[in-house]
Amino acid sequence: MISLKIVALVSLFYFGILFGVAYYADRQRKRGRSMIDNPSVYSLSLAVYCTSWTFYGSVGRAATTGIDFLTIYLGPTLIAFTWWFLLRKMVRISKEQNVTSIADFISSRYGKSPMLGAIVTVFAVLGIMPYIALQLKAVARSFDLLVNPLSTSNTLHVLPKFDLYFDSALVAALILGLFGVLFGARHLDTSGRHEGLVAAIALESVVKIVAFVAAGIFVTYGLFDGFTDIFHDFLVRFPEREHLLRLGTEKNSYAHWLAMTVISMMAVMFLPRQFHIMVIENCREEHIRKAMWRFPAYMFVINLFVIPIALAGLLLGNGDTHNADFFVLTLPLQYGQPWLAMLVFIGGFSASAGMVMVSSVALSTMILNHLVIPVILRFQSKAQNLSILLTNLKRAGIIVVILLGYIYYRFLGESAALVNIGLISFVAATQFAPAVIGGLYWRQATQRGATIGLVLGFIVWFYTLLIPSFVQSGWIGPEIVNQGLFGLAILRPTELFGLSGFDIWTHALFWTIFFNLGSYLAISLLTSPQEAEQEQVRKFVDVYSPIPVITEKTRITRAPSVIEFVDLMAKFIGEKPAHSAISDYLGDRDIDEKGSLSENELPKLKRFTELTLAGSVGAAPARIIVDNYLSARGSHMEDVFDLFGSINISRTASREQLSVLYDAARFVASGNDLQSILDDILKIFTEQFKFDLCVIRILDQDRQTLTVRSQSGMTSEHFGESERDLTLDTFIGETFLTNTMSVVNDSDFISKPQTAEIIRREKILSFAHAPIDVEGQPIGVISAFSRTAKGIFTAEFLELFSSLAGQVGVAFRNAEQTADLIAAKEQQRELEIAKNIQLSLLPTKIPEVAGIRLGGICIPAKEVGGDYYDYLCHDNGRLDLVIADVSGHNVGAALIMSEARTMIRSRSGKFSKPDELLRELNQFLYEDLTKAELFITLFYLQYQPDTRVVEYASAGHSPTLLWQAAQSQCLRLDPEGLIVGVKKDFFYEKDSYRLASGDVLLLYTDGLIEAENDHNEFFGEERLAELLRENHHLQPQELINYIVDQVRLFTGHQNFKDDVSMIVLLAE
Amino acid sequence: MRRARKLPLKDAWAIWFLLGVVMLNYPFMDIFNKSILILGIPLPILYFFIGWPISIFVVYLFSIYLGRDSDQPPPEQDQQTISQRKPE
Repeated sequence: MISLKIVALVSLFYFGILFGVAYYADRQRKRGRSMIDNPSVYSLSLAVYCTSWTFYGSVGRAATTGIDFLTIYLGPTLIAFTWWFLLRKMVRISKEQNVTSIADFISSRYGKSPMLGAIVTVFAVLGIMPYIALQLKAVARSFDLLVNPLSTSNTLHVLPKFDLYFDSALVAALILGLFGVLFGARHLDTSGRHEGLVAAIALESVVKIVAFVAAGIFVTYGLFDGFTDIFHDFLVRFPEREHLLRLGTEKNSYAHWLAMTVISMMAVMFLPRQFHIMVIENCREEHIRKAMWRFPAYMFVINLFVIPIALAGLLLGNGDTHNADFFVLTLPLQYGQPWLAMLVFIGGFSASAGMVMVSSVALSTMILNHLVIPVILRFQSKAQNLSILLTNLKRAGIIVVILLGYIYYRFLGESAALVNIGLISFVAATQFAPAVIGGLYWRQATQRGATIGLVLGFIVWFYTLLIPSFVQSGWIGPEIVNQGLFGLAILRPTELFGLSGFDIWTHALFWTIFFNLGSYLAISLLTSPQEAEQEQVRKFVDVYSPIPVITEKTRITRAPSVIEFVDLMAKFIGEKPAHSAISDYLGDRDIDEKGSLSENELPKLKRFTELTLAGSVGAAPARIIVDNYLSARGSHMEDVFDLFGSINISRTASREQLSVLYDAARFVASGNDLQSILDDILKIFTEQFKFDLCVIRILDQDRQTLTVRSQSGMTSEHFGESERDLTLDTFIGETFLTNTMSVVNDSDFISKPQTAEIIRREKILSFAHAPIDVEGQPIGVISAFSRTAKGIFTAEFLELFSSLAGQVGVAFRNAEQTADLIAAKEQQRELEIAKNIQLSLLPTKIPEVAGIRLGGICIPAKEVGGDYYDYLCHDNGRLDLVIADVSGHNVGAALIMSEARTMIRSRSGKFSKPDELLRELNQFLYEDLTKAELFITLFYLQYQPDTRVVEYASAGHSPTLLWQAAQSQCLRLDPEGLIVGVKKDFFYEKDSYRLASGDVLLLYTDGLIEAENDHNEFFGEERLAELLRENHHLQPQELINYIVDQVRLFTGHQNFKDDVSMIVLLAE
Repeated sequence: MRRARKLPLKDAWAIWFLLGVVMLNYPFMDIFNKSILILGIPLPILYFFIGWPISIFVVYLFSIYLGRDSDQPPPEQDQQTISQRKPE
């Protein structure tokens, strides 16, 4: 005996650990890591199959009826062979269809039938109730035995200080309910997965196997000398019970053995909690492969000591089987191992808790989705946010399911052994097998077949198993079992239709499956699947086949926008999950400028919304929700008139489509001129698809309009041949500006009045425009118009249309590239010529003039510039300096400069004044400059060595800088004057200055002061003047080099963008 | 030729499954259903507790075979991690 306080404390501590693990797993998941994403955890979580029935009940069964308990584990071991095919297929389907439960799975398979979902749910709850009762009974009894080993049946405990009596089963129910709520319904998860729950279950599986094996070792080797010793003692002491170790006995017939094997095979697959943990909570299909042997191995180990403990219990208890279910607990307790007993209790509690938590979560999900939500949708669909309500309902569902189990226990559970209660649930789960397995492989299976099969199966189950158990508990009188319903012996529940000689389980299994499978097969053969079912058949039976590109044969009229779909989802699953779902979905889809999807995407979005909702509320309710929503806003799905049959471009493109694309590619590659390529493509396209008109419009850069480049089909001067402005008011303009396709499948609904008018006049019924782009930049629009049919632009056709537009784009790019190549070659040659001319204009040597020193430089930019400078020495000793810059960077500019140079060289001697020379030059070049659209800036300076006077004039050139040595200051020499080539008759201003020793003149072109650094700052005149001030003492060429270096430092680049030229004159 | 040799083995699960069902049932079981002790353990018990691990071992070998096979997924059954799939 262990004191109540210790048991309570240890249990609480264990709850704490379980909750800690679950909480940690949930937190890890939020961080994107998964604790349960490995095959070991998956295998351990499957061991939720081993409940307190395994833990306590197997021993009880072994001690009373013999080794038939083994079938409960041998069945699953055998069915594990099929898992890679059967279970994996179920997992694959469930993930793809966002299935939430076995009810959802069955309902989804048979056309998302809400009725079928509800039927499965009701049966599952009825079927599992006894099983939950069993767990509560086990926890309560083991608790009672632990604190009072002499207690015989359910007793009430008293809480000493409060004088409060409590029933340990109710306490267990409440604690397990709390666990269920905490782990299973903290939020409404769209993926339907509960990582925390699974982690806790896996831990519990470890605890229960450790506890059981520890007890087994203690009993087998502590109390006896191993297995042989126990068997020997048993056979000597109870030779009359040798049948416990045999098959084919009265209690353990071969038929019974086979029936139990079949029942357990089905139960391990189709019990709602097994389905939930194996299918819904599965992270990866790959885990199944390892679980196939790990899970059976777990069962093997946990069963290794069942028979020894059972026989030891009988030996040590003088053959008393009264408490046989709890030998594993009472033996350590009786033989001075209270802590081992405590461990066993915790193990047994783990076994119960795991089952109850997973079952209650699975069942409450089913109740919520298939019973509650349909009602809510009927009465409360206006509410804004249902997600919180739904979460609370799920929590309430968990508590209700467990309390139902408790009620069953209070009324019926006391009378039956653990194993018997559990088997009732196993046979119930077996009823789901025909509908599920048939649904996975048999196309002909219909909703009506499945529904009637299930209903009959459950009626027979109720009659052949539950009624006898009611009788056994004394709940109803024994007449029905003894005399049969209405006194008809043929209707006796345990010998239905006179089938006698079988135990109750074999009998029930036979009749339930007979009616269930029989009507499922017969009615499926007699009926044919409805349209909604056929769609689902493909998704279930052919789940491994490549997913065909969905051919959109429906469209939504008055379709809701994306936002409206999101709001709909948010209402049921909460805002955050809804937004993250939609952003995942929209990730790579085309969205137009209004934030909505193209018409062809909307039915897909509808399906996506349905699928997302299905993850929370199940497939059938999800379909109802979306359909109700659409019909409420007057939208409906209508069939698209499909001109091309069921063709799709990606995999099974029709011959017509492929040939059009092939021909188009051939035209593009032909190397013909662009116009004939375009004409050929349009012609074949129009002919192949019987369009009335197809047009290619290309952007006219100068006029910014889309002008017709090619046209095929009917002619109409107001329509096909007309130009289109770049405006969103027309579909063509919109297509171009947004670079997305525009499709109007029904010209009765056109949003743009301007287009509507033309379209109606031309009797166009549907049309589509696709942008033609070159490297993402739209350059035109290809259009197709039909006068014959509406709705012809299906998704797969638009794919072809878009490919064709792409081909046209390629043709354009090819043509453009060819032209560019030719132009580039020409330009390159021209630049070389221009550069040669320019270089030939520059002086080759610096003249020697008395009283001054000179320096000059011209650094051509990468591309040819138009700078020119020169020194002109005259016979009278005069020196003329000229620096000029011509706009334009081509041969024309170079030639003009050459012309100017010739004129200056030949005429400068005749002009004694610089302003006169500029006037003459301006008049001389005006015509040519105007014609060539060029102009020249120029600074002209004459130096008389005898007087040391400089006279100068400027034609809009950058001012010359003068360093006055005497005053130590910098001056700008900037006489007024127009740029050469602007006005024919113009008088230039002339200035003069007498040089003093040390004065420096700096003539330059704007390339110098407009040199730019990375911050877009110009070098500027200020900096130049500063350099001159600081370095006026340098020799001219040194000064020039220094300035060039400083400018390069400033820009950070070696090369200049424009030519840089300078002349420096230093007066000695 | 490798694929051709693999196929029969891949479907072997059905044979193993049926073999298991047969070996664990009447009449096959009757062979071992005798009141004999072998190594001090009743024959039926010994039969189960030896046959069971053997069947688990066969599943184990089968799962290893599947694992090797799934390194080169057949075209129609890709081994994609389904939990990462997005609904279409």
